[in-house]
Amino acid sequence: MNYFEVFGLPKILKIDLKALERTFHELSRKYHPDYFAAAAPEERQNALQLTATLNDAYRTLRHPVRRTEYLVNLEGFKPDGSKVPKSFLMEVFEINEQLEEVMAGSATPEQIAALTREIEERGARFESQLEAASMEWDKLVESNASETQRKQQLTTLTEILSESSYIRNLQRELEEKP
Amino acid sequence: MPRIVGIDLGTTNSLVAIVENGIPRVIPGLDGHNLVPSVIYFGENGEVLVGNPAKEKLIEKPKNTIFSIKRFMGKGMADVRGDLALLPFDVSAQSENILKLKVFGRDYTPPEISAFVLRELKRNAEAALGEEIINAVITVPAYFNDAQRQATKDAGRIAGLDVLRIVNEPTAASLAYGLQERRQGIVAVYDFDGGTFDVSILKLSEGIFEVLSTSGDTHLGGDDIDEQLMRLVLGESKTSPDPRDFPSIRKATNKAKEDLSSADETEISIPSLGYSRKLARKEFDTLIEPTVERTLKSCRQALQDAGLQSAAVDEVVMVGGSTRIPLVRSRVQELFGRVPHTSLNPDEVVALGAAVQADILAGGKRDMLLLDVTPLSLGIETMGGVMSKIIPRNSTIPASASELFTTFVEGQTNVKVHVLQGERELVQDCRSLAQFDLKDIPPMPAGLPRIEVKFLIDADGILSVAAQEQRTGKYQSVEVKPTYGLTDEEVERMILESFEYAESDIEAREVIEARNESETVLTATDKGVKSEQFANLSVDEQNELIAAAAHLRETVKVDDHRAIREAIERLSHATQRLAEMIMNSAIEKALKNKRVREVDTDEPTDHLDKH
Repeated sequence: MNYFEVFGLPKILKIDLKALERTFHELSRKYHPDYFAAAAPEERQNALQLTATLNDAYRTLRHPVRRTEYLVNLEGFKPDGSKVPKSFLMEVFEINEQLEEVMAGSATPEQIAALTREIEERGARFESQLEAASMEWDKLVESNASETQRKQQLTTLTEILSESSYIRNLQRELEEKP
Repeated sequence: MPRIVGIDLGTTNSLVAIVENGIPRVIPGLDGHNLVPSVIYFGENGEVLVGNPAKEKLIEKPKNTIFSIKRFMGKGMADVRGDLALLPFDVSAQSENILKLKVFGRDYTPPEISAFVLRELKRNAEAALGEEIINAVITVPAYFNDAQRQATKDAGRIAGLDVLRIVNEPTAASLAYGLQERRQGIVAVYDFDGGTFDVSILKLSEGIFEVLSTSGDTHLGGDDIDEQLMRLVLGESKTSPDPRDFPSIRKATNKAKEDLSSADETEISIPSLGYSRKLARKEFDTLIEPTVERTLKSCRQALQDAGLQSAAVDEVVMVGGSTRIPLVRSRVQELFGRVPHTSLNPDEVVALGAAVQADILAGGKRDMLLLDVTPLSLGIETMGGVMSKIIPRNSTIPASASELFTTFVEGQTNVKVHVLQGERELVQDCRSLAQFDLKDIPPMPAGLPRIEVKFLIDADGILSVAAQEQRTGKYQSVEVKPTYGLTDEEVERMILESFEYAESDIEAREVIEARNESETVLTATDKGVKSEQFANLSVDEQNELIAAAAHLRETVKVDDHRAIREAIERLSHATQRLAEMIMNSAIEKALKNKRVREVDTDEPTDHLDKH
């Protein structure tokens, strides 16, 4: 059973988080190992496995990036950081150098502010890209689009994820700055 | 289903609780106290005392009176070297991966020592409930890692308990507070006790307690504050103190700390060092400020991980003895902008919550459900000593993840896997959990085998591993060797050894009871010797009585209850005639008194006439 099936959902990317949480709570009340403490060992093991899968599914589906990664993997695509355009890599490289200065403590407050803005903007741009591509994907699913169209959209989603991993790394490092 | 108790196995004190008629209550010990100090005294002759009687030995017998053992659970020598400097215990030479304390030439691991406390709690529960207790829920700090949780479970097994669930202390506390009446809301639990600090952020909705994030430090507690004060004393003392003085210094500084929870000023006085100084609350606050700040940093981390601002928190719950410190309370209130809940006794709230969780497991409460998280990321070692995370921290448990492994050399039949816990990037900065070999891989060209390893963190936060070669569908044998901890065989051996203790425990109890009785008999004898009737005994009778009393006084010093009983018997026999004479004269007096009273009450008319 894949994670979408666990929640009784089609393979779509725009998910109502409130409804997802509601289903998560309902299923937890049904399968949680706490309610099987007195059951036979196989039944207990079963509850443990089911709940683990439910939790894994919820953790994955409620987060837009994890959800998209899961979907493209499920469809046989794999985000690959080494396949991003060279020009993009150069930009990331430059930001990284500035970030190193910040980490080393040799940057001025103005430089830090500018860098923070730059990374935030890139983060926002990535989010809106992902959002648009996800809506596009859902439309293809709903309209029963052709295999070719779907594959093309999955390629687009995979490319966005590949690039975004660099941006997310920058964001993470920025959070850890002294 | 048989009854399930909830146990708070604390650094300083431990408690056992149970839900009866839907209400959790703490089960007191035979001495009437709810708290059993987590102190274990090993006597020269193999007797073991636990709790308050052991606590009395702390100063007199520092080397064989063990306290704060929880800080050593799931730890190796390298982890605790710093602590041991201020502790009087002897450590076994074979302590690299699992610390062992040496007492009278015998090695004890922390789970074995903790098992003594658990056995005491089990006995208290059995005495109060009148039935055998096997099933228990035991709490641990939320930030405990896999090895520390496993060590706690091992301690339960050694004590003869079936540990149905390990529950995180802050989450247990939130259950005890009955916050389910609030149908929706965000709760922060700040848990600062003797040895550890935890903070958990929970989301409540219709009886579901969902932990969003947890953070903490398993090595930050009231003990650290005591040690800060101890260092202050050691630095100021004119005589250079001996480690043998540490217990009395610790006692004095601990008292000063507790005084300052209500007083503005106190005095630290250690006569044996000729040391005395006043300590004002202000100075104390300055001293502990960095410690309190560390706890607040964890709180901010937990909020960030939950994706919340401090203003989103609706309720703050305070747990643990160290939350009695005024500076702690005011700082926590400042951070969250809420007056924290302190209505439940901070020493008891975790045990009460454990009992509530036990009741859920027993099927008593189906409307409540606790969804907890794993505090640390789980990962595996990859090329170049890098840790690759497979289950991120704050994942709801049970949680699982699968990884594919393959071979690098043609015909390779063995792949090593190293499992880690922690947030840092390099393997050397994370906590090693276990190493194992995927064995008997069918010989194939390099890269062709596909071995799927499934990592499962159960609802106790403890890891298990299963592996399968995907091409052949064959399950691989996985023998997980824990890096810090006991193997199953070791735990089995300790369970067997603990039966010996069950016997020597009974012996030790008999000795205590015989001693108590001796005291009563000797006190009565002393009175008798001073009484006027003593002169009425013959000289032989008098001599025998004095000799028998002297004999008993000598015998009680030895840990042999049979000998003590015999000496009591001899003294009772020697005092029998004296006792009878005293009794008779007492009866005579009583009768006389009665006559006087009767005369009084027979003349009520007198009183009436006067009116």
